Amino acid sequence: MLATITVKDEKCNNPLSCRKCLLVCPMGVLGLGTNVGTRKFKETEPEHFIVRGVRIDKCTGCMECVEICPGNAIQVSF
Amino acid sequence: MCLLCERYSGGYERWYLNPANYARRLYKIRKGEAEELGAEANPQLAGGMGILGKEFLEAEERGDIETVKRLAQEAEASALGVHFGQVITLDEALKILDIMYPIALMSCACRRSMYGTPDHENFFCIGMGPGMYKWERWPDTYRGGVQYLTPDEAKEVVAKMDKKGLVHTVYTFGTPYLGGLCHCDYPDCAGLRMRLEHGVNIFWKGHCVARVDPELCNGCGQCVVRCQFKALNFSPTRNRAFIDQSQCFGCGLCATECPQDAITLVEKANLPALASAW
Repeated sequence: MLATITVKDEKCNNPLSCRKCLLVCPMGVLGLGTNVGTRKFKETEPEHFIVRGVRIDKCTGCMECVEICPGNAIQVSF
Repeated sequence: MCLLCERYSGGYERWYLNPANYARRLYKIRKGEAEELGAEANPQLAGGMGILGKEFLEAEERGDIETVKRLAQEAEASALGVHFGQVITLDEALKILDIMYPIALMSCACRRSMYGTPDHENFFCIGMGPGMYKWERWPDTYRGGVQYLTPDEAKEVVAKMDKKGLVHTVYTFGTPYLGGLCHCDYPDCAGLRMRLEHGVNIFWKGHCVARVDPELCNGCGQCVVRCQFKALNFSPTRNRAFIDQSQCFGCGLCATECPQDAITLVEKANLPALASAW
């Protein structure tokens, strides 16, 4: 069964430096990306980084990411 | 024969040993067309998170083989034209460092995407060729900047990566232009994950497979942890390493570690069943 993983971006504060969920996930399900495209001569600012459930086929529902998130930004359901 | 060698080797033994494939023009001539923002410049867009999404995983989940096949073929064709990798050996990596310039260490987009690895800990990739002179145009792709290396410094870096257990992989940026010598492992490399977990081939096998000499192997097992491809097993029955050659990508990491020199790389071209398995 595929997991549904939602991340509330407004509660997810600077995932590029927090990255707790990315490191805790035993299956490497989550991914870090940005909500802006690549721009010439411009580095993406920390506030434009986002976390998403990418490899949702690997999610076992252990909820460790949900528990570790300091902003309660992650929801996992099946 | 390897499709890339057929098309792009220019008479050299392998396509990635042909210097022409590192010598893309430094500046493109553009006549009124918008400059591409694209995949050529941005590994994150090309090979990382975006290539196959939820639609693919859902099709797999419901057993919709046709959709899975179609999406995989589309992704493979698109990657092959723009941004895909092929495993090479340490010796080949060292040869490459003698035929192209400039060489620079850069941060790894896959590891950034997987773990948010900070730039200063993330210099796993070697950028190659004239594109490196333009890195400041794309500060997001080259987060943390680049560190230019002499060929000798680069060889030391590559040898260290090998020691660490990372797979040498050449990557195209607009095939056949080779712009990256990456150091990959499972599950940190997005291309390798797609290949091993979903069979989507945007990460090609190399030209050789490893062979264990049963007389020389003493069963020490040091090679086993070196395999990133689930090809190397340890047989307690025979007290020997066992390599599934149909699963071997020919990176040679097991061979470089073997204290008995019991593992050699053999050309797939001489093995009919594997000769066209990429």
